[in-house]
Amino acid sequence: MNRVAIVGTGQTKFSKEDGCTEKLLFESANKCIQSTKNCDSNDIDGVLVSTNDDSKYMGAILSEMVGIQPKISHSIEHLCSSGTSAIISAYSYISSGLSDVVLISGVESATNPGQVLKWDKSRGSLEHPIYWASMLTKSHKRKFHTTEEELAIVSAKNHKHAIDNPLAYSNEPKTISEVMNSKQITDDLRILDCSRSCSGSSSILLASEEKAKKISEQLVWITGIGQKTTSASFTKNILDEIKSTRIAANSAYEMANIRPEQVDVAEVHDAFSICELMAISELGIVSNEKSGEFVRNLFNTENRMINPRGGLIGAGHPLGATGISQTIEITNQLQGKSEKRQIPNAETGLIHNMSAAGTSSSVMVLEN
Amino acid sequence: MTFFEKQLKEGVFQICYCKNCNNVLWPPKEICHICYEKTDWRKSMNVGTIAEFSKKDSTYFGLIEIDDGIRVLGEISCSSEPSIGQSVKMIVSLDTRPHYSFIVENN
Repeated sequence: MNRVAIVGTGQTKFSKEDGCTEKLLFESANKCIQSTKNCDSNDIDGVLVSTNDDSKYMGAILSEMVGIQPKISHSIEHLCSSGTSAIISAYSYISSGLSDVVLISGVESATNPGQVLKWDKSRGSLEHPIYWASMLTKSHKRKFHTTEEELAIVSAKNHKHAIDNPLAYSNEPKTISEVMNSKQITDDLRILDCSRSCSGSSSILLASEEKAKKISEQLVWITGIGQKTTSASFTKNILDEIKSTRIAANSAYEMANIRPEQVDVAEVHDAFSICELMAISELGIVSNEKSGEFVRNLFNTENRMINPRGGLIGAGHPLGATGISQTIEITNQLQGKSEKRQIPNAETGLIHNMSAAGTSSSVMVLEN
Repeated sequence: MTFFEKQLKEGVFQICYCKNCNNVLWPPKEICHICYEKTDWRKSMNVGTIAEFSKKDSTYFGLIEIDDGIRVLGEISCSSEPSIGQSVKMIVSLDTRPHYSFIVENN
């Protein structure tokens, strides 16, 4: 298998306002291509678009917009983890030799109607994600004695990190008390525990080892990949675990030949506060019982190891772009380019992206 | 509209099962994915137990396990706070989405 490196990145700002998907895609894709010094558009032989938008033929549309005639172009949809699913597809094209350089662009509009999973009849009329998030939160509180304050710290921490992310949808700080006193959505969920739908686009360029060495001088390698889908219906989940994440993480660690303790920095899928606590446990970073204490310690010591970008809660969640934006953050961290958000001496980073209450997860390990 | 949805509209929750291997198939499907035989229906007993619950505004909702391990999300009607494992009676309907409502017995 060919090794695969990340050689270019580009992003738009995330925004609460409605946005034109084609315009956003074009902006991030152009920035991505321009971020490379020695890449000619003609070198790109794959274009993948990750989105939950109902638009058709986006791979071909983006190719034409940036003036590329690739061998491979199509779009990829997998709800909230569409972005990493697209990156992993591009990895497969390159590692197998079908492609050499692939542009992956993710996009979403804040008001996109394609974000609700209507197929899942077991949710009945309670189809909004706040219902499953409330079930996970209540169950975690019951089993692991997780407190309201520990949940609020996840949000306060990620909002704090987002202050130093100029592309985040909001740069407003939120204190623990503000989170705890924010509008109550359910008995177990407050408005500031929730990530919000955004408009935005993120693009990344992957290349084979041979091409990568010509295109970039500061390569970041994808060394571990794990994916797992356990179901599509939320109600088939065991409430106090995210099995798909645990299995995907183990596969990614095995492929990269690393242990969870070696992860210096991670972007995890905090669609709701509870998801971050559950994710860091399933990723093997800390036990379920100590996840709240772990996050409290990160917050108190200003350690940005988890979600330095601000996570989904702080930066916003444009579904198709999220996994790509997470991957760009870890790439920048491993290149030492994260400015105020930089984790010192980061060598190994992890991305965790999941869909529909954790029924499907993708985990990637990056190394410099 | 599927048979399952038509029956929901009539207030009946039909459980799909395989006549050959007897597995319950949820969500319902025409062919069993285990033995590939045609599936059949039987009416739910309309009772379940509360697996987890929370509250939105003044209404409780939760994850309820009904017949043969099928779990659904629905609203819970009760006069005081429900509890895990409590027995509930199920009432179903359909408009644009299925509605599953549960009444706590002996609450």
